[in-house]
Amino acid sequence: MKVLEVVELTKRFGELVAVDGLTFHVDKGDIFGLLGPNGAGKTTTLRMIYGVLRPTRGTVRVMGVDVVRDPVKARSYMGVLPEESSVYPRLTAEENLIYFGKLKGMDEAELRRRVKELLEALDLEEKRYVIADKLSKGQKRKLAFARAVLNKPPLLILDEPTSGVDVMSAREIRSLIRQYAQEGSTIIFSSHNMWEVERLCKTVAIINRGKLQHLGSVEELKRLSESKEFEEVFVKLVKGEVGEAV
Amino acid sequence: MRLFKGSSGVVRVTRGLGQLGYSLPDKPWLVVAWKELVEALRDRRTIVNVILLPAIMMPIFIALPMMIMSPKTVPPRIMVSIQDPEAIEIANYFRELKDVNLTIKVEPVNVTDLIINQGYDLVVEVPQGFYSNVSSGGSGVIYYYYDPYQMRSTLAMSLVQEAINDYSEKVLKRRLEAVNLTEEYISPVQSISVQVTAEGEQVSPGEIMAAMIIPLMVGIIAITGAGTFAIDMIAGERERKTIEALLTAPVKRIEILLGKFTTLTLLSFLSGVSTIVSSLVGVSLMVSPMAVPYDNQTAAMATQIIEPSRLPLFISGVLLTVVLGGLTGNAIMVMAASLAKSFKEAQQYVGFLVMILMVPMIAVPYVPQSLYWLMRLLPIASLAMLARDLIVNPNWTNVLTSLAFTLLYLAVFLVLSSKMFDRESLVFG
Repeated sequence: MKVLEVVELTKRFGELVAVDGLTFHVDKGDIFGLLGPNGAGKTTTLRMIYGVLRPTRGTVRVMGVDVVRDPVKARSYMGVLPEESSVYPRLTAEENLIYFGKLKGMDEAELRRRVKELLEALDLEEKRYVIADKLSKGQKRKLAFARAVLNKPPLLILDEPTSGVDVMSAREIRSLIRQYAQEGSTIIFSSHNMWEVERLCKTVAIINRGKLQHLGSVEELKRLSESKEFEEVFVKLVKGEVGEAV
Repeated sequence: MRLFKGSSGVVRVTRGLGQLGYSLPDKPWLVVAWKELVEALRDRRTIVNVILLPAIMMPIFIALPMMIMSPKTVPPRIMVSIQDPEAIEIANYFRELKDVNLTIKVEPVNVTDLIINQGYDLVVEVPQGFYSNVSSGGSGVIYYYYDPYQMRSTLAMSLVQEAINDYSEKVLKRRLEAVNLTEEYISPVQSISVQVTAEGEQVSPGEIMAAMIIPLMVGIIAITGAGTFAIDMIAGERERKTIEALLTAPVKRIEILLGKFTTLTLLSFLSGVSTIVSSLVGVSLMVSPMAVPYDNQTAAMATQIIEPSRLPLFISGVLLTVVLGGLTGNAIMVMAASLAKSFKEAQQYVGFLVMILMVPMIAVPYVPQSLYWLMRLLPIASLAMLARDLIVNPNWTNVLTSLAFTLLYLAVFLVLSSKMFDRESLVFG
């Protein structure tokens, strides 16, 4: 089942073509890595998927719903952790979650249960009544992650979820990502940490200069580039030292 | 503020308000309004801007200068130098002066030393030959020596002049009696001022001041609105990088904007009520016997801000204009904040807008009555006119015209702010 379907997705900013005719889909339960060097168009692609940028051309469908035509319904299937997303500094950790839980239409009992569960899972229970301004950078990122996964949406879009967090917190986040995938959630994941990508992702898309350069499983891309380390695979593929895998 | 959160950041006083979020109904605008209110109440700027600033500053701005100037607060220091030993009668008039710190000397004095070094507000000199000039039917001359940079010198002169006028009137009366003439004979024309109001009643000085100040206050509320909060809720949200996550929530942007407007309107309403109540306190102090030396009967009338039978219309009119003013101002601020990339940039846009919008509003008290129709059609000015029309002259055609144009501009500003909030660049600048 296709949870996400991207067809001929293009975004222009004036003369600049940030994303150029991307086509791919993500199946249910997949952890899909969207990789590329800085400025490749990853974040622009993700922003079009979760609907804060309008595509110049092409379509994005989430659970069969067109993101441009019915953005509210499409977003109801998503949980999003944007790249530079922060939390509300004058709300407590708990209130930050209440806010998004209510916006996602969660009922009181379910919201209370999930808030408790996530604060415990991410080691934020002690910070429940502490304003987010007093949290560390890593704790804020974990809170933003909890906000995204609060209602266990069918599609999770995580733009560099472990960026800026310590080793222990990164492990907690990765563990939750695996858990959600096992429970049937589909995850799109962007990261510069190739070690993390290798351990988490089933399928990987590499984009460069707005175009899809390679698409395949981690093992397929390793074979294609004849490399054992995924970091080396990434470098070879981006530099065009091996042929098309799409 | 420790009242709201300790240095550890643990929230105590407003925790209940935060917990209330769990039981909110499934209305996105209400959820957004709740969140904005919780954040605003934990921001010390709310207390300063919404309560303290209006409550303290307005009475100070309005009444303090008047009270400081009042002779009842600090009587002006006056030295009277009588160099004509025969001018006893006028000296008695000076002695009867109230609310002055008076010294009378029957000798010449060093005027410069008294004013520059000894802090006298006024020196009055009655020169030699004064009495003989007056008693022979001529004019006696009196000299005022004063500091042109001191407003209190002008006040002292006006008080002394009252005594001199009384003396002059008495001398004139004697002279007229001596030649068998009446006072009317030398005053062939008299003028009498009569107030004309819609109700045909006399208006107190307090009411006149309120009618001048309240439209101005309503305009200021409209222009500044809950300005800081409006900027914070849009540009601040972008600067703190929370807006992108918010816009990924499955709600319409208009619902987010509506929620933000709800809290902004509540805050500007509180600020507006606080401003107007404190302005009225300022006006009461300004026209009170503490500031103005009325007799008792006048004082009772002066302190009455509004005639009791018109109080319900006055209160509802003020509240209506405060709400409409707050909404208008906030819509304008949201438009400006949506354009800016940062809080600081938004403040600059807002500063520019405030200057432009101040012009028609400040013009309201000064334009001739023949141009009132035009003021009722202009943005912001229509709002100030609505307040004025409701308070001063409740003519329903005028009130409805001002109201219709105020609502029209409000609708335009709300639509524009919603368009601005819907732009892609809202997230990315």
